[in-house]
Amino acid sequence: MNKQSFLKRFISNPDFSRLLILILMFVLTAVLQRNFFAKRAIVRNIDSFTPLILMTMGQAVVIISGGLDLSVGPALSLMTCVLTSVMREGVPISGLHALVVAFAAAMAIGMVNGIGIGYLRIPPVIVTFATSFIWLGIALFLRPTPGGETVDWFQAFYRIRNVETAPAFLKAFGETIPPSLLLVLTGCLLWWIVSRTRTGRYIYAVGGNSQSAYETGINTAWVQMKACMINSAFIFLAALFFVGQNRSGDARMGDPLTLKAIAAAVVGGIALTGGRGSVFFALIGALIFSFVSKIIFFANIPNAYQTLFGGVIVIVAIAASQLYTLSSRRSGQESKLT
Amino acid sequence: MSFLSKLRDTPVYEAVDRYKKLIIAFLLIVLLFVVGEIVLETFFSLGQILLTIKLASFIALFGLCQMVVIASGGSGLDLSVGYMATMTAVFTAAIMDGQNSNLWLAVLVALGLGIAVGLANGVLTAYFKLPPLVVTLAMANILQGIINAYTAGKNITGRPSPVLQIIAAKSTGLFPNILFILLILAPIVTVIMNKTRWGLKLFGSGANQTAAYLSGVNVKMVRCTAFIISGTLASLMGLMLIGNMGIAFKDMGSNYVMPSIAAVVVGGVSLTGGEGNYLGVLLGAIFLQTLTNLLVALGWGDAGKWIGFGIVLFVLLIVYVSNRRKR
Repeated sequence: MNKQSFLKRFISNPDFSRLLILILMFVLTAVLQRNFFAKRAIVRNIDSFTPLILMTMGQAVVIISGGLDLSVGPALSLMTCVLTSVMREGVPISGLHALVVAFAAAMAIGMVNGIGIGYLRIPPVIVTFATSFIWLGIALFLRPTPGGETVDWFQAFYRIRNVETAPAFLKAFGETIPPSLLLVLTGCLLWWIVSRTRTGRYIYAVGGNSQSAYETGINTAWVQMKACMINSAFIFLAALFFVGQNRSGDARMGDPLTLKAIAAAVVGGIALTGGRGSVFFALIGALIFSFVSKIIFFANIPNAYQTLFGGVIVIVAIAASQLYTLSSRRSGQESKLT
Repeated sequence: MSFLSKLRDTPVYEAVDRYKKLIIAFLLIVLLFVVGEIVLETFFSLGQILLTIKLASFIALFGLCQMVVIASGGSGLDLSVGYMATMTAVFTAAIMDGQNSNLWLAVLVALGLGIAVGLANGVLTAYFKLPPLVVTLAMANILQGIINAYTAGKNITGRPSPVLQIIAAKSTGLFPNILFILLILAPIVTVIMNKTRWGLKLFGSGANQTAAYLSGVNVKMVRCTAFIISGTLASLMGLMLIGNMGIAFKDMGSNYVMPSIAAVVVGGVSLTGGEGNYLGVLLGAIFLQTLTNLLVALGWGDAGKWIGFGIVLFVLLIVYVSNRRKR
């Protein structure tokens, strides 16, 4: 294979265009944001990107397995409410209790969604639409208004230096590598491990063609349930960051993230039909999405227009990805029908 | 066994089998009233029932938007109806300014907005093949953004015209006027869906898109039209909402989105498309409103309402949807 054909193949790869867009957005943001390369600005950018990155990676796993989760935002809100309801101010051990209870809640959320999608075979979008209101209701029950108690050391998920009792070397470590980056790396590690196992391959198989996956002996319902639980684990990581940052729980705070996570996954090349795309490219989609939001912010668009542009970006992004996929698979007969 | 097979041939059994979902919905309503009466002792009263009917009418009218879109198939749902109605209410409040003479202009604006948004939804889902839920959710964000931008830094001024207030808020004798709108609309909708060519095309596209396409139905056009109808109806509902409330505010319509879909499910209409039964949607709306009343009376508030709606929707999805998707 000569060099030229390798280059050609590389350029014609859809992932190449995504990387190119990411670099473009990175450069644009670097030009627009003052002190972009200053350490404080870098840490702040990573902080503001972290929740969307984690939520997008989780959503990507569900979409690849042939599902779609409309309940991720309320699920995130619910986890922050659970965390802040279990914790008691000034009782350090209660933070540990909160971690255990919230993780159990996360797994329960994943299981309920997984039972609906996998075992009961209700259309994923509809069943998660229904469960999203159950999560919202429980979150409102726990925290009718934003608030709640947190333990001091929980801030370690946001800024280790804010924790008074932390040893000096940990504080120094937190200054070099922000905890938000560690949370993202934890998420990456989680998916890297899963993708090395049989479950990782099964998730692709079930999402690509559920019927033939079933016929080759894969327990498709169980695989889809595991995908939902992996998604819940990602949301749990995002919830840790939120509570560390805001020191409160809020039943409504996750709502906008649902749509953003889906859109970012699509920008990252995850096909909504399932079975295609890479979770790590979903991360790149989330980065592109975050940079675009930053650029809109720097373009001095009034605050009132931000929701409007958020919605427009989602539709443009999804439409562009869809047209791209359609044009690269023109030969398919089914696209001519209907 | 022979007794059962004999029973199966009787007309009563056939009727029960045909209308079993309506009967289930009706029994659920009765059950709620019985539970409410036992727990609260003052739940079952004429005033309560009339209030329930009035509030349920709004859910049922939003449910009509959903039913048309759902019937057209393609896993269609319209999550933008709430902000569509809100946007119309906010925009037309200033136009009407409490004058009947300005009502025609308000209606024209409502129709224009509804058709435009419905067309956008329809083109994006039917022609660009984007998932309806994601598109309409994003559309809801866009409309919310437009409302925020329009109202930024100022109060929403204007009042509905008196005619609208009479239609949406007042009662004739015992019965709320909005009920009469529903009583006129329900038969018309039923006839259009079941007796006209367009209704046949709508159900055909929903039931089997390939068969419909091969028999000459323009499936994309039908689905696009369904979204336009939904958008237009939702926009007109904005006028009803402002008529009922007397003022327009930013979030006035968003609480109707979830109940409108739940009403369709409770009414036994298949979410996979190809079916439509407006009587079921009406019963579903009454059920949901009764459930809300009960939960509010028990003092569970918003939290209880959303948990209740979510669980009802989840359970009915299990009952109605999962059994028809067996391998």
